Amino acid sequence: MKTVTFDQVNETLYYETLPNGLSVFLLPKEGFSKTYAVFTTRYGSNDSHFKLNGKEIRVPDGIAHFLEHKLFEKEQGDVAAEFSRNGASYNAFTTFNRTAYLFSSTDKVEENLKILLDFVQEPYFSGPSVEREKGIIGQEIQMYDDNPDWKVYTNLLQAMYQEYPVRLQIAGTIESISNIDKDLLYSCYETFYHPSNMILFVVGGFDQESITRLIKDNQAAKDFSQAPEIERVFPDEIAQVSKKQIEATLSVGIPKLYIGFKEAVNGLTGEALLKRELSTKLGLDVLFGTSSPFYQKHYDSGLVTEGFGFDYSNEHDYGYSIIGGDAPDPERLVEEVKQVLKMASEEGLDEEAFQRQKRKSIGLYMRSLNSIEFIANQFTSYKFNDIDLFDVVPTLEKITLEEVTERMKEHLREVQMAVSIVRSP
Amino acid sequence: MKGDDQMAIQEHEISFIPIEVPGMNVHMLPTQKFKTITIMVQIEQVLSKEVATKTALLSLVLKRATARFPEPQKLSEHLDHLYGAIFDVDVSKKGERQLLQIYMEVANERYLHNESSLVESAVQFVGDVMTRPLLVDGVFSTEIVESEKKSLQQRIESIINDKMRYANQRITEEMCKGEPYAVSPYGDVEDLQQIDAASLTEYYHTLLRENPIHLFIVGDVEASNVKEWITAHINLPERQPAAIPVTMQHTEEAVSEVKEVIDQLDVAQAKLNMGCRTHITYKDPEYPALLVYNGILGSFPHSKLFLNVREKASLAYYAVSRLESHKGILMMMSGIDSSNYEKAVTIIKEQMELMKKGTISEEEMSMTKATLYNQYKELLDSGRMMIEFAFNGIVSGNPRKLQDLLKEISEITIKDVQQVSEKVQLDTIYLLRDKKGV
Repeated sequence: MKTVTFDQVNETLYYETLPNGLSVFLLPKEGFSKTYAVFTTRYGSNDSHFKLNGKEIRVPDGIAHFLEHKLFEKEQGDVAAEFSRNGASYNAFTTFNRTAYLFSSTDKVEENLKILLDFVQEPYFSGPSVEREKGIIGQEIQMYDDNPDWKVYTNLLQAMYQEYPVRLQIAGTIESISNIDKDLLYSCYETFYHPSNMILFVVGGFDQESITRLIKDNQAAKDFSQAPEIERVFPDEIAQVSKKQIEATLSVGIPKLYIGFKEAVNGLTGEALLKRELSTKLGLDVLFGTSSPFYQKHYDSGLVTEGFGFDYSNEHDYGYSIIGGDAPDPERLVEEVKQVLKMASEEGLDEEAFQRQKRKSIGLYMRSLNSIEFIANQFTSYKFNDIDLFDVVPTLEKITLEEVTERMKEHLREVQMAVSIVRSP
Repeated sequence: MKGDDQMAIQEHEISFIPIEVPGMNVHMLPTQKFKTITIMVQIEQVLSKEVATKTALLSLVLKRATARFPEPQKLSEHLDHLYGAIFDVDVSKKGERQLLQIYMEVANERYLHNESSLVESAVQFVGDVMTRPLLVDGVFSTEIVESEKKSLQQRIESIINDKMRYANQRITEEMCKGEPYAVSPYGDVEDLQQIDAASLTEYYHTLLRENPIHLFIVGDVEASNVKEWITAHINLPERQPAAIPVTMQHTEEAVSEVKEVIDQLDVAQAKLNMGCRTHITYKDPEYPALLVYNGILGSFPHSKLFLNVREKASLAYYAVSRLESHKGILMMMSGIDSSNYEKAVTIIKEQMELMKKGTISEEEMSMTKATLYNQYKELLDSGRMMIEFAFNGIVSGNPRKLQDLLKEISEITIKDVQQVSEKVQLDTIYLLRDKKGV
């Protein structure tokens, strides 16, 4: 295993790409009781149209998430029991771009890691159980349908994007999942679960040498076919949003408002992508964070509430920021946000506020490294974009006020803006 | 060698060290494991309709401004300046006790360039918030009180946004009608209208003078420094003979008949809650057996509820049970299609019957014990969770050592679990459903 040491945060990372293509990262943390392992494939809800060895395939929306559910089932029963026997907590999740399987345990880490590797790499799908799962996922979809935070968010994506699949629900719809069968699950599995498309990250209080040996032996004992040529097919997406405004009704105490800004130019990776993410977040923090004049003024007037905030998401092919929260008067808040954008583009950003937000970001990053779950998941997510999690502070330190000001100008443009509102009937 | 042994014990135990400071119970846990220092103040109050809303409003007012930072924006900038310190003041409830909590977390200066005294600044800030609030002519600023009244009202009104939480609050109100436990820690909108800056200020002074205060600190710190900082920065008023215990009225109603309550809202998915009285709380000797009972019944993915309601019957995405350990309530929760209401209730009741009959496999026992063991060991990796564990012991009056609790769990037998099931009584069935039909 190769190592790299990050002195500032006092961490040493071990890594290696195995002969079958699997990327392995180990981060031992002294003094921790728990070990957390996450086994992730670069395959999410966005990947529903692809070419496999030259043949074009379209699969039903929601199939990546469906596959995640069904991978736990084995011929001789559910893999859940194996983890439970060892007392491990285990879970899985699907995002737009990846599917992750994970466990945490304070005991029997080696056995649990073996269970994780084996169940993800030995699929077993059967007809009746696929049908049964449709009822369970149907309830999951309905649970999200009632969730105003989810509704205002997914509606915003729908408004922002014309074609790109991030506008669709990760779990699909009751209608779309009704078309899933075991053969489709196997095709997706064979396409996206090859070790060369996956990352294993282990972090916590484990013994590095024995875990390395276990992973290498486990992988060497399995036969994998040649890595398939995956070519994902994505529609072209223009800069302009699909809809300026989208509304939905749900029983809520206070209306919810999300304002979204869509990236017009994409295709970045590595440090350039990280820099874009960090400078966008810094800029948004200066303009809309809790110590911004905007937040303080409108908190006092009652236009924004406690939960008001912002977020930014950036991948190779798309990116967007979101500003919002509970809003007693959504229309007025949209106007006030537009005012800030106008002012920011005319007058630029405040130097002192910029330095303060930079300092804050460094402290918050340090804090996030207390969470081994955060480290594992964020590291993996960044790695798929060729970003190194431990480069965050050095990159942050290099960002200048001019860069952030420019970034805000190119990102926060009205033509790239959409508004999503959820209110009571 | 002796030093090594002590380290070994500490790694597997949650050992807070008491620090003598007049008027307050200070508990410190020194460790180098984390990249931050965590501080948590807990002020105890009796949960009651009379004061709940005041305590909740007080938490918001204290959070907004202090004498040193009279403008909220300056306060917020100060937190940014402390490398993005995490700071919150909030209320919660534990059994029939309301808690006002001040939470603060700052980066360990060891990991920052040329920085010192970040922890002391954090203690100072906690002292500001707690003991040096912004007072104008001796009372809280009317402007801030009024603005926070609006915030609290919004908070209370938006509970309905999260249907799981809403259903939980509704069943608690119905199940514990007339008991203090029915009171929400945020209080209610009606009481909120009666509060003004003067009455809130008076309440604040009383709370600080009379109610028990705990301060927890976890991280890379030393006792002598902690004591010095607290003495310098947290100036409590002259207190009545140190820490008056809050007298808890622990109400425990026997169930005469199972109540059924149905609410209707515009929802796609119905929420089914079934609340039980266990007649066992954290302090009781049967508590470890109750943990195992709850684990077998519903708190894990290998539990009876998950396997039967979700995996076999395909009725739900989630079907779980949770304990409120200080009140002794066990709450079962599931999200279903309202047309499956009777079916789901029947299956859940069957699972409770199986528990009573002792239809529990050795495997269910061992999985549950192993999972509980892991869950408790995982607390050791979080400052906040360790504080929570220690505080549960303190307020219950029976502070258990983590290792003792784990040992007790490992010794529980199926018979012990069956004995618990004899005490568990279903009290209320609650359904939050759509407006179609009925």
